[in-house]
Amino acid sequence: MKHVIIGVGAAGITAAKTLREKDPSCSITMISTDTHVHSRCMLHRYLSHERNEDTLSFVEPDFFETNRITWIKGAPVRTIDVEQKLVCLENGSSQPFDQLLIATGANSFIPPVGQFREANNVFGLRNLSDAQAIRPLSDQADKILIVGSGLVGMDAAYAFLEQGKDVTVVEMADRILPIQLNETAGQAYKDLFEAHGCRFLLGKKASETHMNDQGAIDFVSLDDGTRIDCDLVIVAAGVRPALECAQDTPIDIDRFIKVSDTMETSCPNIYAAGDVAGLSGIWPNAMKQGQTAALNMCGIHTVYEDRYAMKNTMNFYGLVTLSLGRGVAEEGDLVLEEEDAHNYRRAILRNGKLDSILLQGKIDYSGIYQYLIKNQIDLSGRETDIFHLSFADFYGVKDNGGYQYQV
Amino acid sequence: MRRIMIDASKCDGCKNCTVACMQAHRETPGTIYDLDLTDIRNESRNHIEKMPDGSYRPIFCRHCDLPECVMSCMSGALTKDPQTGIVSYDEKKCGSCFMCVMNCPYGVLKADTATHTKVIKCDFCLLDNAEPNCVKSCPKKAIYVEEVSL
Repeated sequence: MKHVIIGVGAAGITAAKTLREKDPSCSITMISTDTHVHSRCMLHRYLSHERNEDTLSFVEPDFFETNRITWIKGAPVRTIDVEQKLVCLENGSSQPFDQLLIATGANSFIPPVGQFREANNVFGLRNLSDAQAIRPLSDQADKILIVGSGLVGMDAAYAFLEQGKDVTVVEMADRILPIQLNETAGQAYKDLFEAHGCRFLLGKKASETHMNDQGAIDFVSLDDGTRIDCDLVIVAAGVRPALECAQDTPIDIDRFIKVSDTMETSCPNIYAAGDVAGLSGIWPNAMKQGQTAALNMCGIHTVYEDRYAMKNTMNFYGLVTLSLGRGVAEEGDLVLEEEDAHNYRRAILRNGKLDSILLQGKIDYSGIYQYLIKNQIDLSGRETDIFHLSFADFYGVKDNGGYQYQV
Repeated sequence: MRRIMIDASKCDGCKNCTVACMQAHRETPGTIYDLDLTDIRNESRNHIEKMPDGSYRPIFCRHCDLPECVMSCMSGALTKDPQTGIVSYDEKKCGSCFMCVMNCPYGVLKADTATHTKVIKCDFCLLDNAEPNCVKSCPKKAIYVEEVSL
């Protein structure tokens, strides 16, 4: 059996590992535009010079040899010949497959604001290649503008502040990290970043740019007329699935590559997992999707079940936050809040079940909350204990010593 | 694989296991008689919850068959050894994102209290090349090591 995987991110690597584990004799080829396996969640540590190409990796250095995987790196895929079962590369060569996994991930979205798309000093921060292009410029730059205050934007802000740069973050919403955090929790990070020299312009949008004769944007104007001088612009305005290789093929696409609950696309023996499949942008989910796809590729029928994706953790300047759920209260919900010098906690309960929880500060032993939300466990009668629950409240031990929930 | 089995009905909440774990993972040399129990850098990998009815629930890493912590690790710091079954943690690789804390369904993991840069995670006392220290210290045999099939 010849397996081909496009992409060496969380989904692709997990799939490869699973394939090798389940089928010691199969052939595995991985194809990627990336030249290094790297964790996208740590790219800011590359910009801050805390990690290099090797220490960004999330696999052992001998991963490909140990698992007997042929890795074709730095090789963009042009298209997939579904009929002939071939992956056709930009370099003119092609790879035959029996089973194919598309795990190409996503690319930064650069909105068509002014000359963002034409200028040579505007970048997304998604791939190591982005970080490699940014670092020589950011090392020289004095003034850096970051558009968007989501996790990627704040990661970038952290990295440049560590380098002593003048950093401005522009955000459309009236608070930072608006998807993950409410006002109170966001304010705690805003204070920390400001204490490290960051400037925030909230409730504002970049609307015009000025490009100098070297092709670099030297100032950006906001919708309220504010002018921000800059040597470098990082756009953290979300991502779009990296679909190029599946376009103009019979593979069914609707913004993302459409997959069944076994992660199979509309074409038999072709699977998709991770960001390109559009089910979730979260690392753990990408790993599970890659694993699910790989099991099916080896003929072990497996359904992708663990779909809960409204989850995040973050850690800036030692302040840790766990955020589960949308965090938006509806009429009739029970909203509980607690605060002390080091912690802020907020939970939303709906009909006796946990809908959302935000823990900022101490997040010890908080893994149970994802289970309680995901499985909609009835907490009637103990709603007000929500911040004090532990696995002890649901304690069960199986014969083999593993834990199980008693609810 | 070998697993620390738990018979919660035998636990009388003495916390010998907790102190043994703190001693086993302390950074400074010394004996249990000079272990500073109030130093936040001396943290236990296990903990015991007391229930309203007076019973106790030991919470110990299960080194799960399908470890959710490993399936959330974006740095490669958490791995499950296919031979021994041990889920080990390499703090040098860790990116301190704490998705593993979020993903452990049994609420076993936590961030270290002093620096919030690493995860407090059972290592089965592998460096000691012997029974885990918590197991050795349990006077009630409420925890014991047994070979289990995956």
